[in-house]
Amino acid sequence: MGRLQIAPRALVCKNTIIEGDVQIGNDTVVHVGASILAKKGPIIIGSGNIISERAVIVNNHSTPLTIGDDNLIETDARIEGRGMGHRNTVQVRAVVAEYSTLGNDCVVGATCSTAPAENVPDNTVLFGNPQSRRTRADGNPEHRFTHKKHLEYIHEMLPRYNHIIEAE
Amino acid sequence: MNSSASYISPVSVLYYCPCTSAAKDHSHKADKARKASSSSEALEANEQPPLQPGSNLLALRVSTIENLYYCDDCSEIRCNRCVIEEPAGYHCPNCLFDVPTASVRSEKNCCARNCFQCPVCAHVLSVVENDLEKKPFSLACSVCYWDSREIGWEFEKATGISAQIERMKQDDHQTKEFANLLDYWRTVHHISANTASSMGLGVHTIGGSQFKHRFGASVMPKALTGAEIPVYKAATYVETDHSRVSSLMAIDNADYVSRLSANAATTAASNEPQRVRLSMKLARRCRSCHHILIKPESKAQATRFKIQLMAANFIPKITLPISLSPKLASDVVLPQKPLRAGTAVPVILRFSNPLYSEMQVCVSAHPQKDDAFVEIHAEEFTLPPFTELWEYDDDDDDNDDGNGSSDRSDGQALTKQRGIVDRHGNRVAIQLNIMPKIHSDNMVIPLRVVSTHQDDMGVDMDTDADTSALGSSHRVVTNKFWVYVSLGPVERNI
Repeated sequence: MGRLQIAPRALVCKNTIIEGDVQIGNDTVVHVGASILAKKGPIIIGSGNIISERAVIVNNHSTPLTIGDDNLIETDARIEGRGMGHRNTVQVRAVVAEYSTLGNDCVVGATCSTAPAENVPDNTVLFGNPQSRRTRADGNPEHRFTHKKHLEYIHEMLPRYNHIIEAE
Repeated sequence: MNSSASYISPVSVLYYCPCTSAAKDHSHKADKARKASSSSEALEANEQPPLQPGSNLLALRVSTIENLYYCDDCSEIRCNRCVIEEPAGYHCPNCLFDVPTASVRSEKNCCARNCFQCPVCAHVLSVVENDLEKKPFSLACSVCYWDSREIGWEFEKATGISAQIERMKQDDHQTKEFANLLDYWRTVHHISANTASSMGLGVHTIGGSQFKHRFGASVMPKALTGAEIPVYKAATYVETDHSRVSSLMAIDNADYVSRLSANAATTAASNEPQRVRLSMKLARRCRSCHHILIKPESKAQATRFKIQLMAANFIPKITLPISLSPKLASDVVLPQKPLRAGTAVPVILRFSNPLYSEMQVCVSAHPQKDDAFVEIHAEEFTLPPFTELWEYDDDDDDNDDGNGSSDRSDGQALTKQRGIVDRHGNRVAIQLNIMPKIHSDNMVIPLRVVSTHQDDMGVDMDTDADTSALGSSHRVVTNKFWVYVSLGPVERNI
């Protein structure tokens, strides 16, 4: 227990709260103030993810919480579910509720949340207040492009202003 | 039983707006007669408050001073309901482009530029570039991720989206049919206008009888037959038309006619982005003298006003203060809760002068009141002007506390005028003794306030000759208004 494995090119800031068995993949960025709490089970984070400030990823289940690649988890979001696929966006103050999972290319809009136990299918957008959902048809083309640029920018600027945990 | 069906928020001071020019004319004449007879502005014994506190209309006619305007020509309060509103500029709420008035009508009150609303979530769409070679641009929503390619809208250029949409829709059979219909009815109108002029009848009667003629009942003289009016020919034909029309014609029971909204949901237009509607900036005028009270700047992004005549800048602001100035060792200011019928409580009202000149205020209550007995000690008092330097006058005020002494000058003797509790800067707090007589949900006291001041700020071209004196431009302005002080629930006598 308590093992933190950081891949060589991942950027994890020192002022984060990381507890338990956590693996962080290549190129992933964990911003200042984020919390990754593997309380009852491990958390496995893929590559190229961006986890913003005050985001909370907490695993209260004994099964691993798996986060895929190229996801964007924005400020103050909360991931309590069982995991997500690739290229998702969890917007500001959104919640992925317990026992839920996200597929690929999903968007959980700002302050929106999934139902307590649902597997959100691919390409779903949760938005609005009162919340509604629809399926996007564009195949998420610009995400790959903008996400890549975002990652490059952070990799260049973040180490200049924050202390980074040295990967072994 | 005073159960107010209309809700007035408790513990507030509300101003009454007369709202009718008829009442103003009447009181104007009465005022002139009274001025001639007596020099005092005090309330006559028989002057009634315009609305009794239990009236259901009261909540509609009163308002806090922040929501009221003031016409300085009429010297009257004006509220939102008695001003004339007129547009002072049109703009698109999305791109903040000021639309000239001529374009407003031609573009049917919509933004002519690239401002569209998403059909799913009504958010504003943005123009995005896609990877395709031909027609790379489309409209996309950043909230629900709807893209206009889902309905087949793709564009060659990023600007002038409206024009491109027009071109796309030209070949639409609905547009063609509509244009055809327009042409047809223009021809009909033209023919009937010509026939009318030759027959000497009014055009509108002929238009009406055309209808009757076509549908069977013929009222027209024989000279105008159906042969002159061409039969309508549809421009396009869709396969479903025949079945739709025959099913509609087969209906003989009105219950089976579908509603308009059901038809609207199935048309293609509900899936299409709508253009953003324009917003207006409003200017407000006094209803009686058409003097401009509020005039905003016409630029869309400017939030200021060129002219802003608010009541709070002209008439004294009356409040129920929470605390008086700290040097006074006084107790709780608001009446002790709960108010009881039959028990007299002191109520403090604070008057504040917004003007740069001194103001004389007379406060009076209606003498015979069924609900409460109101005793005002300070019937008339003076409010000093508002100056930004009054914080430097604290030294003078410090000498005023405590008991009076015989060495005081006249100015300081005013502080010890009976009924005045506190005096600070441009504000005076007076005390009323109120004894409620019956219990109620909300005790409302009407008070009549008359404020007088000299207006030195320059004279209008419209003032009468007798108000200007000796080269200096003086004008005595008198404001009379009613104020309803609402004090909260009153419980029964124990």
